Amino acid sequence: MAFVCLFVGSSHMSVSECLRALAGKSTAANNRIIWNIRIPRVLAALIAGAGLSVSGLIMQTNLNNAMASPSTLGVSNAAVFGANLSIIVFAGGFLDTMNIQATFDTGFNPFSTSLMAFVFSVASILLILGLCRVRSFSPNIVVLAGIAMGSVWTAATTILQFYATDVGLSAAVIWTFGDLGRATYRTDLIMSVTVGVGILTFLFLSRRYDALLSGDAVAISVGVNVRVLRFVSLLLSSMITAVCVSFLGIIGFVGIICPHIVKKIMGQEHLWSITSSALAGSLLLLLSDTLSRSMGNGSALPVGAITSLLGAPFFIAIIFGKGGRH
Amino acid sequence: MLEIRNLVFGYDRQNPVLKGVDLELEEGKVGILMGRNGAGKTTLFKIITGVLKPDAGKILFDGRDLLQMSRRERAGIVAYVPQQIDFGALTVYQTVLAGRVSYYNIRPSKADLEVVENVLAEMDLQDVSCRNVQELSGGERQKVAIARALAQQPRVLVFDEPTGNLDIANELLIINEAKKIAHKRGITVFSSIHDLNQAMYFGDRFFFMKDGRIRCSGGPEVFEENIVRDIYGVFAKIVENDGEKFIHYYKGDKQ
Repeated sequence: MAFVCLFVGSSHMSVSECLRALAGKSTAANNRIIWNIRIPRVLAALIAGAGLSVSGLIMQTNLNNAMASPSTLGVSNAAVFGANLSIIVFAGGFLDTMNIQATFDTGFNPFSTSLMAFVFSVASILLILGLCRVRSFSPNIVVLAGIAMGSVWTAATTILQFYATDVGLSAAVIWTFGDLGRATYRTDLIMSVTVGVGILTFLFLSRRYDALLSGDAVAISVGVNVRVLRFVSLLLSSMITAVCVSFLGIIGFVGIICPHIVKKIMGQEHLWSITSSALAGSLLLLLSDTLSRSMGNGSALPVGAITSLLGAPFFIAIIFGKGGRH
Repeated sequence: MLEIRNLVFGYDRQNPVLKGVDLELEEGKVGILMGRNGAGKTTLFKIITGVLKPDAGKILFDGRDLLQMSRRERAGIVAYVPQQIDFGALTVYQTVLAGRVSYYNIRPSKADLEVVENVLAEMDLQDVSCRNVQELSGGERQKVAIARALAQQPRVLVFDEPTGNLDIANELLIINEAKKIAHKRGITVFSSIHDLNQAMYFGDRFFFMKDGRIRCSGGPEVFEENIVRDIYGVFAKIVENDGEKFIHYYKGDKQ
């Protein structure tokens, strides 16, 4: 699937040209399109899709809440604030596939906005987990603290945007649209390390998550240290989200919809639902990105919108269809 | 022998829920804990199973203090069947296997799988082992919860209101299963029950709790009209029929 997606793009290269470019035997421009734009982008879809989807699944299990998502701790809102601060106040730059003038004329490091987004995401995660430690990471407290913290970041972003210039505001809003075109090999490497460490840890803890489905009291009685389990799980899943959002912008719905689709079809045994969620997330984001590239008439549509448009009807069909009886 | 010595606990230190609980329960016996709502029964069970930490006191099993043990070690001694049962979308087999989580990390050993198979057979759950637990009836779900607890191979099984949401047939089914577990396998069963007639049928030893302490304890002889009145504030008449005791409740003005 990922291989097929390499052949789709706005440059209208034929399949044979793509294959030649893959072998490094096409024109310099075509080689660059395949190796420097499409491959990093496809890799980003695979890695971020898997990371966001698994992150959502782990949040839902640990917070015992079907509406929990990778951004439940307010990570995305904090990232948006960090990015807005960078773009509006410090005139920071970011990579973008839409060639927005404002983002390239600044002459600043194109990764400064990602860095600011990441710093504020991590600050938000540490602040909430630090606060929730007092209440033993009680799921309801974590969710409510996440909502409260998210609204603080949103309010701060609104104030920033109120004072922004038209160009700055436009650039800041564009940043929030998820865009896999911002991916480079370097960002893919950073994302893959974070997502890889997270998923391996979640797989190692998968049997404990199965016990946690019966509630904290049962999990503790079968020997699970629920407090530590929840802390590690929330920290890692939020870090995955922070890294993905900082590099790619907001990609909504993958982290809510994919885990639910997988749970409806495969059940909730975490060893398999983690693996399946990773695959489903990669597939959904890859398909969405390919569609966004082929529908945008030369420029990619926001991938977050396509994930929702693509995933939601499928999800509704599963809820109300045969699989929903389970 | 399960021994609880001077157990004190309070969510708020100024108003302790447990004010010095003392009790002893022999191996292989069914102990029934009774008392009004808010008397501290669930809190006591949560401390025994490690969910809450007491402010003072000891819980000894065969002379060893449960409070000094690691979580895994304790999980091999005490298992818990809660009042509210929720399993998530797991199969019966996966749910029972979750009871072995303190014995392995990712891949269960042959011994773990053997324990699960034996428990499923003993609880007569083999035919539904591949079904989603959420599709089962209340009685079957309760049996799955007991099976998961038994998969821990515990020495003490704690039940919090095991028959609370069940019809009469399932109540009897669960009570008889629990009695069988205690008397055949030598596991100490400690349970709370509100219905005093059901408690008399179920238990070997009885503990009445009031104001954070065990007010009185003993065998079936402990059921007396004045004790029921003291604990629950209601009037009761105890009648005997074919050697079995029954309790009838009256409104105060009819007494």
